[in-house]
Amino acid sequence: MKLRTAKYIVKEGFVNTYRNILMSFASIVVVGASLLVFGVFWAIMANINYNTRIFTEQPEMEVFCNPELDDAQITTIEWLIMSDDRISEYTIISKEEALERAKEMLGDDKSVLEGFEGEDILPVSFIIKLDNPGNSKDVVDKLSVFPGVDNVRYSQETIDLISKLVRWIRAGSGMLILMLLVISIVIIANTIKLTVFSRRKEINIMKFIGATDWFIRLPFIVEGVIIGLVGALISFGVINLIYTEVSGRIINSVYFLKVLEGKEIYSDLILSISLIGVLVGALGSTVSIRKHLRV
Amino acid sequence: MVEFRKVSKKYANGTLALNKIDLHINKGEFAFVVGPSGSGKSTLVKLVLKEENPTEGEVYVNGYDISSLKRREVPYLRRSIGIVFQDFRLLPNKTVYENVEFAMQITESLPKEIRRQVPMSLGLVGLSKKADAYPNQLSGGEQQRVALARALVNNPSLLIADEPTGNLDPETSWEIMKLMTEINYRGTTVIVATHEKSIVNSMKKRVIAIDKGQIIRDEEKGQYENEVKNSQIYS
Repeated sequence: MKLRTAKYIVKEGFVNTYRNILMSFASIVVVGASLLVFGVFWAIMANINYNTRIFTEQPEMEVFCNPELDDAQITTIEWLIMSDDRISEYTIISKEEALERAKEMLGDDKSVLEGFEGEDILPVSFIIKLDNPGNSKDVVDKLSVFPGVDNVRYSQETIDLISKLVRWIRAGSGMLILMLLVISIVIIANTIKLTVFSRRKEINIMKFIGATDWFIRLPFIVEGVIIGLVGALISFGVINLIYTEVSGRIINSVYFLKVLEGKEIYSDLILSISLIGVLVGALGSTVSIRKHLRV
Repeated sequence: MVEFRKVSKKYANGTLALNKIDLHINKGEFAFVVGPSGSGKSTLVKLVLKEENPTEGEVYVNGYDISSLKRREVPYLRRSIGIVFQDFRLLPNKTVYENVEFAMQITESLPKEIRRQVPMSLGLVGLSKKADAYPNQLSGGEQQRVALARALVNNPSLLIADEPTGNLDPETSWEIMKLMTEINYRGTTVIVATHEKSIVNSMKKRVIAIDKGQIIRDEEKGQYENEVKNSQIYS
């Protein structure tokens, strides 16, 4: 194919999209709407996965000391933790840090803690991570009877439950995303089929004048790509608006949930919906036009 | 130019549209193919364009052997033929100019040639002033002239018209026929399938009459109906 023919074909794609503006507009709306549903769900899933990951990676246990212990006694406990081979890492949370943490968790209600700075209301604690979760029971037994240790917060049941839940959520969301993807593809492909069908006479005429199959097909593919891409960009714009609004509200009202920043998911999101739009647009055109070319 | 050798066409539903037809149309000829609806004249046109394949026999058009022509070679056959249909078949979303230009774009002609040929072709059919109009803004006669301009723009050696005046009033029909005659004088072979009796009778061209899938008459300077046979039928 000559370069000027390629140019003509691309120009044809754009001109035809414009001259069949009603049909193009209808297709863009359908593509945009399907990808919007897909994208919104994508954003929700990304956040659920993010939150569950935080949950599972959270410290496995926390050792609370008696609030009355002096620094020497705390050092003894620290030494005990340090010398235990089963413990891979630990963090000491001082009284001040504990207070800060409490304030953070309370969010907007943190004012209730004002005036308690410097007082022994919260104990020193150690956050412990184990090499092997299987050892947790033994470690807990050993640490909880040590003098000066108030209690060890540890819940194998919760951890098991959460990791089970996470597995289900991941599997479920994966399937839902897949289903939504298939539904979007079917809807978009069908819309393009309609567009092509409404112009089957044109295709027929071109065949009779002696146009090759590719000469007829390519402008339609260009059109499909334009429609897919414009639909994807519009849906992305709407997703962006919704996400900024909704995530802002969640951050301000639900303190225990972490929300991903828009820019953390946008690059993946825009890439996948544009890709779906463009691929389905191009493939949809190619497939729909096939039977009309047999003249 | 166009040759049929013992050609039969039987459709899937069992209709025998053409029955062992022999036909030869020379370069530069002007021939009418006449006959009532269902006589097989449309099938004849379809075979020339390879819209259909012959069940039996051989068809040669512009040096192409129709029966053995591969699917991907069909566009090149059609480019060598100018085609005009009863229902004009213009691209509705393209202007008059673009419709004619399209025929040259598919042959990947040079832009210089396109800029020269398209206005020339439109000038020939008297539509230079309507170049920017869309088909739905034109009358039937004008649309058919655009179709003619498109058929001629690549200088085909053969022009086939299937009922070109079927949707036109008598006066416009005559204009189209005059254009076709002119095109024929310039050396293009012209085949017109029609049942427009008055036109055929006054043009005094070769007439090939088909009925029930067979050629019943083939005369130089012929009439739509044979006088003798005519009186037999209606007496």
